[in-house]
Amino acid sequence: MHTRIPLLICLIAGVLMFLQYFSGHPAAKAIYNNILDWWQIIFAFTLLVGVLGFIRNNLRSISRKKETPFKTIALMALVSMPFLALVGGTKIGSPFMWVFEYMQAPMQATVFSLLAFFVASASFRGFRARSVPAAILLVSAVIVLVGRVPLTEHFSTSLSKITFWIQDYPSMAARRAILIGIGLGSMTTALRVILGIERTYLRGER
Amino acid sequence: MSGEKRRWIIFAALFAVAIISYILPIQIESRPSPEVQKSYDYIENLPDSSVMMISFDHEASSLPEIQPISLAILRHLFRKNLRIIGLSLFAEGTAIGYEMLNRTARQYGKIYGRDYVFLGFKPQHISAILGMGESIRRVFPEDYFGNETDTLAVMQGVDNYDKVAMVISIADGDRAVQWIEYAGARYNQKIMAGLTAAMITTYDPYLGSGQLYSVVGGLKGAAEYEKLSGHLGAGNRGMWAQTTSHIFIIVMIIIGNIVYFRSKSSQKGRG
Amino acid sequence: MDIGIIIAGLLTLAIYSFLYRDNPVYKAAESLLIGLSIGYALVIFWQTTLVDRLFRPLFNEGDLILIIPLLLGLMMFSRFSQKLTWLSRLPIALMIGAGAGVSIPAMLYARTLKQISASVAPLYTASGGFDFSALVIILGLLSTLAYFYFSRRHEGAMGKMAKAGTYFLMIFFGATFGYTVMSRLSTLIGRIDFLLTDFLHVLR
Repeated sequence: MHTRIPLLICLIAGVLMFLQYFSGHPAAKAIYNNILDWWQIIFAFTLLVGVLGFIRNNLRSISRKKETPFKTIALMALVSMPFLALVGGTKIGSPFMWVFEYMQAPMQATVFSLLAFFVASASFRGFRARSVPAAILLVSAVIVLVGRVPLTEHFSTSLSKITFWIQDYPSMAARRAILIGIGLGSMTTALRVILGIERTYLRGER
Repeated sequence: MSGEKRRWIIFAALFAVAIISYILPIQIESRPSPEVQKSYDYIENLPDSSVMMISFDHEASSLPEIQPISLAILRHLFRKNLRIIGLSLFAEGTAIGYEMLNRTARQYGKIYGRDYVFLGFKPQHISAILGMGESIRRVFPEDYFGNETDTLAVMQGVDNYDKVAMVISIADGDRAVQWIEYAGARYNQKIMAGLTAAMITTYDPYLGSGQLYSVVGGLKGAAEYEKLSGHLGAGNRGMWAQTTSHIFIIVMIIIGNIVYFRSKSSQKGRG
Repeated sequence: MDIGIIIAGLLTLAIYSFLYRDNPVYKAAESLLIGLSIGYALVIFWQTTLVDRLFRPLFNEGDLILIIPLLLGLMMFSRFSQKLTWLSRLPIALMIGAGAGVSIPAMLYARTLKQISASVAPLYTASGGFDFSALVIILGLLSTLAYFYFSRRHEGAMGKMAKAGTYFLMIFFGATFGYTVMSRLSTLIGRIDFLLTDFLHVLR
């Protein structure tokens, strides 16, 4: 029962959501709209479960005195956001949004910008023409780097034309092949999931 | 030289190059690429009061790159007197999206509820995209401020994608793909994307097949759009630093290869 | 100066301190960021979905059908109990099933058929000229697909095709790397703009 009922729900939901694509009947639309709503609501609950898991793991680390100051900061920060939302609301100008604007967003953008430094370091250490494929990769990257800056456009448009040609033809062809592969793979997996052949999402439970 | 020291030198040099070139008062013009020109032309040729939907599908992490794109497009939309429906399919895009929409609207004297609306955020993007194809009001019964969507003048006559001229997804990931594959394929909705440069090649096949109408990509794309609309902003300001940083990376690649080939030939000589 | 800008500037520098090496200041900022991000998402999800789409319509407007997603959502919490954990499979099954159902037409039409049809273009134009670019697309597509086809050994003609496929893939990866570098540098320039203009007032 613990496996059969989920498999049945998955089958019914999958078949209904697949078939509604071919029907404009009001009943089919109603079922479709309801399942879309439920999907969103359940998804929000999964986030709550994740948050509880995070709190539990952090409390466990604190009780074991493992990185206590950092875990405490993370927990306090987590708790502070709902508290601020409760006290001052969540609209622009509220303390909640102030924290987002002046603390969370700048830190997130800065963490992301760290990658520029690592990319520079990797360009020196790892980007070497060790073989023919590596040389092709290197040349393609350099053409894009040179061709997509305004300075080269200033002197000649040929390089940016070459860049666009590489992007629109050979590079796009390879990406398209990957995309078609993913499309076929996703379709097969979806069918296997609906038919109950693929059950990895039930794993980890007794 | 130890690996750590070498890394520090590279980091410091990149920082110095970017800062110095940003401080230098050098303006360098960007020539609009065909994609940016196509995006601009489409919006430019829309009749007054056409409905445009702009979805802020990104996180705060990509804000420095994505904000100039959003602002350049938003300025054009407001200048053209279009009706704008803003929303977000990323939780973090909610505050950012509203702030940008509101800031630009004020510059053009637009009124909330009449000229533009911000619907807010909905999780589970696929379900939200598909749901809006049936009814926007069902997915967003209320806007970001709790007003009933039905009561807003800007939403009159708009309840699904039928009246929406184009959806613009400002994305730093694959959210725009879902717009293409669900709103585009199922509801025939025209899609344009404002993307971080890192995502450009991912979307090339969709551009090639016509599923994606056009793209404004990266800070360079923003600079090109600013040039077309005659309102220079953060995109153009950053172009000289972008150019010198690219040159720095290319120099790093060249030095790295010289070191590699020299050590290889010296190994051969010894062998 | 605005206190918000000062805090944002100091936190930016705290994150950049990682470039020297991992240190307690960076770790504290990182922990703060993790906590704030989760807290932010929690509030937004609670408000935009659970309150707006579930609690208000169910309890204020009496939309009783919403009891179903409420119960399914609550079942997710059974993951914390060893005995009842199997209950969480039910909402997961609904989400996975619904996702699989809607994705089949999308994957078939938008990702596969549309992409294949876009690749089939005439090699000779209306004026009789040879379209080299169209040939590149079809060769690139077929050779890359050959590279990913593992049901046959990559020998002979198949091997040559697969090898050509790796070259096309390298061009794609190279272009992607180039654009990624461009993207990351743009983000860095954005932060430099903040530090120089808003935080340090070096620029106006």
